[in-house]
Amino acid sequence: MLGSSTRLMDESLQHESVLRKMKFRKSDNKSKDALTPSFESLFYEHWAPIYHLFLRMVVDPAEAEDLALETFFRLYQHHPVPEDEFNTRGWLHKVATNLALQSIRSFKRREHYEITAGKNALEQAPENQPFEILAEKEDQRFARLVLAQMNPRQSQLLVLRHSGMAYKDIASALSLSPTSIGPLLLRAERDFEKRYRALTEDKR
Amino acid sequence: MNKHLNDGQLRAALDGELNLEELEHFESCDYCQMRQNTIQLQTQQTANKLAFLSTATKEPAVSPATAWHRFNQQKIGQKETPMYKKFFASPFTRYVLPGLLILTLVFAFPSTRALAGELLNLFRVQQVTVVPVDFTGMEQLNGAVGNNISQLISDSVTMQKEPTDPTNVANTDEASQLAGFNVRAPQDITSSRISVMSGVSFVFTIDRAKAQALLDEAGRSDLVLPEEVDGAEVSVNIPSSVSIAFGTCPEPSNDSEAAREMDREKNTSGSPGRVYKDCIILAQIPSPEVSAPASLDIAKLAQIGLEFTGMTSEEAVQFTSTVDWTSTLIVPIPKNAASYQQITVDGVTGTLIERPSDDAPQFALFWVKDGIIYTIGGLGNNSQKALEIANSLP
Repeated sequence: MLGSSTRLMDESLQHESVLRKMKFRKSDNKSKDALTPSFESLFYEHWAPIYHLFLRMVVDPAEAEDLALETFFRLYQHHPVPEDEFNTRGWLHKVATNLALQSIRSFKRREHYEITAGKNALEQAPENQPFEILAEKEDQRFARLVLAQMNPRQSQLLVLRHSGMAYKDIASALSLSPTSIGPLLLRAERDFEKRYRALTEDKR
Repeated sequence: MNKHLNDGQLRAALDGELNLEELEHFESCDYCQMRQNTIQLQTQQTANKLAFLSTATKEPAVSPATAWHRFNQQKIGQKETPMYKKFFASPFTRYVLPGLLILTLVFAFPSTRALAGELLNLFRVQQVTVVPVDFTGMEQLNGAVGNNISQLISDSVTMQKEPTDPTNVANTDEASQLAGFNVRAPQDITSSRISVMSGVSFVFTIDRAKAQALLDEAGRSDLVLPEEVDGAEVSVNIPSSVSIAFGTCPEPSNDSEAAREMDREKNTSGSPGRVYKDCIILAQIPSPEVSAPASLDIAKLAQIGLEFTGMTSEEAVQFTSTVDWTSTLIVPIPKNAASYQQITVDGVTGTLIERPSDDAPQFALFWVKDGIIYTIGGLGNNSQKALEIANSLP
């Protein structure tokens, strides 16, 4: 309020002191108190499906783990204490889908993902059918790229449904009416096919 | 149900998501079943392409226990620090929080306030007082509580004049014209930059229920806000200010600067004290004005605010009783981490705050003269230089 010098002083003088204390406190046992047992149980319950969702989406295990941790950190920020009516599973899947799509959109990560996907495909391909495996991986790569370029709501819908989520859970996660899922899904699938055809014609 | 199902319903039928009435129609309707075959062909294509989303991966999963350990190490242990900084770094909080500080710590009423009836009381800064605060209480601003406080402030404030980006000017004449008051600068010391920050004004409407809920959430349900604060409107008008930089200084504060500052710390591990060790900034601003309903007992709110930061109830009561709340700007400093003293500066009594540190010593000098608040701050051992600057003002 009083200009730069005050702000400079405010930030450095006050907050560095606080931060120092916070860092100290975070290293002792007291920091565990901040993470309630309830949050920990939620973490244990949902970790595997969220991590695997990322693994299928971004392929790279390290990237999948980073994104999954970020997803749970966002849950901790927004909903540190589990609430009865809160759809934790839906919320986590929605955030995870968004983060995965953002990751695929990122050029550098996409480049990294493509290299990783190609490498993994070659390593895992049976000796007698390398081309079939590679073709399948290539199809998956196109599918991910199409998801990343679609309208985010449509991408979310496709990912959540084709990951096996029921309509009522999708509706809850995306704040939609359950009866609207069918029509929206059909529209999203048509758009997906259209974009997929355009992308593969372009790339092949 | 006689009406045929639409394409969306037929798509839902493929997933077994029809209601009973729709299902009965579908099972008895050849036309709908025929149409669904076409839709199924289209859907199957997409399902094949996205089958990888539901197949088991060959990669071994990171176990929940390992992930939980990493979550604590990587996210909770380290990310909350930037979160705390982000809370203070947002432009909104940086402008509005000081206003709230005035609301809670500065503005109160004279003993004759009962006579003032429903007239608005007006606060203007005439002097500065330091209050040592134990900021460990402010850890409550971490994480979700901090986010909720930030949200409450956002919801409660109506901006009347938004801040704009700082403007760099060539000299004090230009600064005076732009800021609307007479800007002073030392004549014998060359500055590296003169910047004018636009004023800001807003109205803050207190929502007692939400504010009390946040106190409760922060574990301070012992602090009870008075009933009469609910719905009170407090107007804050912060005039344009001018900062004059000497040495290598950060850009005038705004959001991008705050973000850059955090990036710089993150990328170089260099504190501002090291990066800007020769920086001194002289800032000047006409007194902000705060007006509030006479029925609002700000002294009580100040007491609650001080207790929230870690003061005992007795300390807070004692402090609030010694302050002329109509004219005093309160500057909180970290208890046991900084010292302060009153000194004569620019012909009036000012306050010099110093925080000794081998790594990044810091200082700030405050004084008020002719309705203008002056501050000189820096990161280094340059407090004597600050006094030179202050005493050489024309």
